[in-house]
This record gives sequence, structure tokens and C-alpha cells, in this order.
Amino acid sequence: VTEAVVGRLADFPEGTHRVVRVGRREIGVFNIRGRFYGLPNLCPHQTGPLCEGRRATGTLVADAEGGWRPRWTMEGEVIACPWHGLEYHVPTGRCLAYPEIRLRRYDVSVRGEDVVVSLGGRAP
Amino acid sequence: MMGEMAIDTEPQERERREPLSDLLIVDADVHVHESPGELAPYCDPPWDVALRTVADVPERYLDIPGFSPGGDGTLTARFPTAHEGARMVHTPEQMVAELRAIHVDLAVLFPDHLLKLPVLPQADYAAALARAYNAWLVDRWTSRHQSLLGAIVACPQDPADAAREIARYAGDPSIVAVYLPCAGLDPLWGHRSYDPIFDAAQAARLPVLLHAVTVTSPVFPFNNHGFDTEFARHSTSHTFSILANLVSMVSTGVVVRFPDLRIGVTEAGISWMPFLCNRLDKEYLERRREVPFLTERPSHYLKRVYVATQPIEEPERLADIDTLIDLYDGEDTTIYASDWPHHDFDHPVKLNQVPFTPARRRKVFGENALTLFGIDREGRRR
Repeated sequence: VTEAVVGRLADFPEGTHRVVRVGRREIGVFNIRGRFYGLPNLCPHQTGPLCEGRRATGTLVADAEGGWRPRWTMEGEVIACPWHGLEYHVPTGRCLAYPEIRLRRYDVSVRGEDVVVSLGGRAP
Repeated sequence: MMGEMAIDTEPQERERREPLSDLLIVDADVHVHESPGELAPYCDPPWDVALRTVADVPERYLDIPGFSPGGDGTLTARFPTAHEGARMVHTPEQMVAELRAIHVDLAVLFPDHLLKLPVLPQADYAAALARAYNAWLVDRWTSRHQSLLGAIVACPQDPADAAREIARYAGDPSIVAVYLPCAGLDPLWGHRSYDPIFDAAQAARLPVLLHAVTVTSPVFPFNNHGFDTEFARHSTSHTFSILANLVSMVSTGVVVRFPDLRIGVTEAGISWMPFLCNRLDKEYLERRREVPFLTERPSHYLKRVYVATQPIEEPERLADIDTLIDLYDGEDTTIYASDWPHHDFDHPVKLNQVPFTPARRRKVFGENALTLFGIDREGRRR
């Protein structure tokens, strides 16, 4: 498994993300409430720079249990592609509009003050 | 046996698919950003004063009072998102660089705010804006780079002035089309009052390109207040407008009275075209006497209309796009458009995933547009 140090912990304050380059890959590294996640900076829809949007936000969902009324949820966990707005849930890589689309996820860990991305990846 | 042969030959053709960088890509719909302050020096008095008055108004996407009132999406509740919903291009240098990044070789420029020109009720003001935009477009954009070509706007509120503008730019090497704005238009483009515009375009050998945008107004088919989401309004407004205007232009005989006029439509996708051909042909069986000037069935005329692909449908079976084009005999009339830099632009990568034959791929991405705009591969008018 190839690993790469992509920055210092201080480079990734909570609630922010950055696109880092590891070899030929661009990876969005997200710090969501102290947990780190990595997604490819490539939207499978039309190859947009998925993780270059300014910030991860929440989103609206509605279901029968909630009487079909929309509620704001997943605060800080949703990234929308800047090109066309296709939304993804960062912790799971799941596309909200088309659940059959799942992004590969990169393991991101913190070792001391280093943020480390593993290119081994994880099954979607 | 026949089936096996088909299976044998098709993949070989597909393997020869050219990379996007090797393909001539002509983009039939790209948008420059014209702010009121930019147009003011090009605008006749007293309307230049009005433009300077709103020059410093904080601008939202296609939303400036007295210039492009009532923005796309300003009716609905706003929530935070990383989607860049208001991309703009301010200089030719920026445009050339951004189009190069999506492999576009030649582009036809349309406005941003003036997409809503027909909603302005003051005809003299609207006509002055159109003249200012046309002069600004040539001076600041199309004369600055060979890959940037222009569509001058025809002001529907003043057809005589629009005809004069077309004649004025008829010989400009960088102007390749006349843009017919559709948002909030009344009456529709088939109305007799617009004949001077079609006359002038035909004489100038410039095609007309219809382009709508989403607005909510009492004018058919933009009376879309029955919808409560932008999802619904934006899904329908562009396409309904193109449908309404083409039905209008066929049913009043524009398509027969101006036989050499080349007509194109933008930003409506392509999947409505088989419907419209079949629907009008069916109606023609019963009501031919209302349109006695047609010498052919309606689909004959519709199939001569050039259809820009954006927003290209994205069915699970992308081969359906190829089939849709077959259904309106569109191999020679379908043209790529990106709509860069707008929120719903199409990167050519999606259309390039359709299993076209190599010949059809080259036609759709570039060669058909060369015919429509009357230009060579370097963008020079023929």
C-alpha cells in the first residue's frame, strides 16, 4: 500500500477541505468534525473537479417519516460538484441523486502532525 | 448472420474514435458577460445614462433591475452549496483559455443578461441595448481572437432596427449568426411583424439562432407560475419556448417564405425533436388548409432546423442519443454546444461517449456547424 504525507494537521482545520496531489491523482481531503476522509477530485458525471467547491455543506432530504417535509441534514458532509451541482455524501462516497454511483474512498489518517493518504483505497 | 456482421464491424469503427483534442469542435452556444457599465460607452443617449445608473448595482446571476430583471432561480429559497451557479466570462483571454480546456476550437458568442432582452417593455431602450451589445461584441470580443465568433442580437421590440443591424454587420468577418432571443417573447418568432428580420438575415446569408432562458412572465410559454421549483421551471422553459417558436415559424410559413434562411435552435436538448416532427405531421393530415402554403409535410421543414445538443440528454443507454438523432434524420443538422460558462454547461466528454460512427461524430462536433455558420475550419466566413 502506497502512502503519502499530504500536509500538516494545521493545514486542515475542522470543516474545511483541500485538494492534494499524490502522483497523478488529485484527492480531496476533508476534515469533518475531526475525522478525515478522501475522495477523488473527479466527478464521474462529466469529469468536473468535484472537490474544488468552496465548502462541504448540508443538504435537504424528505421522507415519509417526516411527513415529506424537507429538513436540512448531513451538515458539513455533502460536497456538490462545482460544475453541475451533483451532490455526494463525503463519509460514504454515495451520490445523493444517483445512489448507484459510489466514489472510491481513500483512507486518510493523522500521524502525529502529519496527514497521510493511503492510495490503497477502500472498496466503495 | 447479419447480426453477427454488425457486431463484428461496429466495434472496429468505434476503436478509431478520435480523442477530443484531435477533433474539430465548434461550439454553437457560449456566453460572454456584458455588464451595464461595459455597454454604456457603446450605447446611444439617453439610454447610456440608464446603464451608468445601474453599473454599480450588486449583480446576481442574470438579475439587474432595469437591465435583466428577475433572475433565474431568484424565486426559490436559497441553501448553501459548492455548485458554482453563477460562472461568468469577462475577457476574451479568459474565454479562449477556458474553451481550450474543454477542447473547443471555434465558439459562437451569445450574451448573458441580454438573454432576457424581450422582457424589457421599452422598445427604444431595448433596441439601443441591442445596438450597444452588437458594437461591444465585435469591438471587445470577436475582433480580438480568431476562434471567437459572434451572433448579433436582433431586438424583437423593434424589427426594423434589428434588420438595419443585420445589414450593418452582414459583411463583418467575425459575425456568423443572428441571435433571436426567446425569453418572455411576445409575439412568437413566426409573427409577420418579424419578417424584416428574416428578410435581412436571408439577404446577409446569416443563420438565425433561437435561444431562450428561464423566466416567469405572463407570456406564453413562460407563464410557468404553476410550478413551485426551479427544477420544474428550468426543465421546461427553454424547450417549451423552442417548441412554441418552431411551431409558430412553421404555422405562419416563415419556413417557406424564406427558403434560404438557415435556422438553428439552442439550449433545448434534442429529444423533443422526434415528438415535434411526428406531432405536426399528424395534425397536418387534418388541418392542412390552415397552413396551405406548406408544400411539404411539416417535418420536412423541421428537419432542416439545426439543433444544438446542450443540455444533452444523458440516458442510461447513451446509444439512445444516436437513435434520437436518427428519428429526426439529424446526422447533418445536429451541432455540439457547451453553453459555457453556465451552471448547466456540457463538457464534450459526455457527447463523445455516445457510440456514433466516426463520420457522425465529426459532423456533430464540428462539420455541421461549419455549414450552418458558413465558415471554414479556421472560422473564416465563406
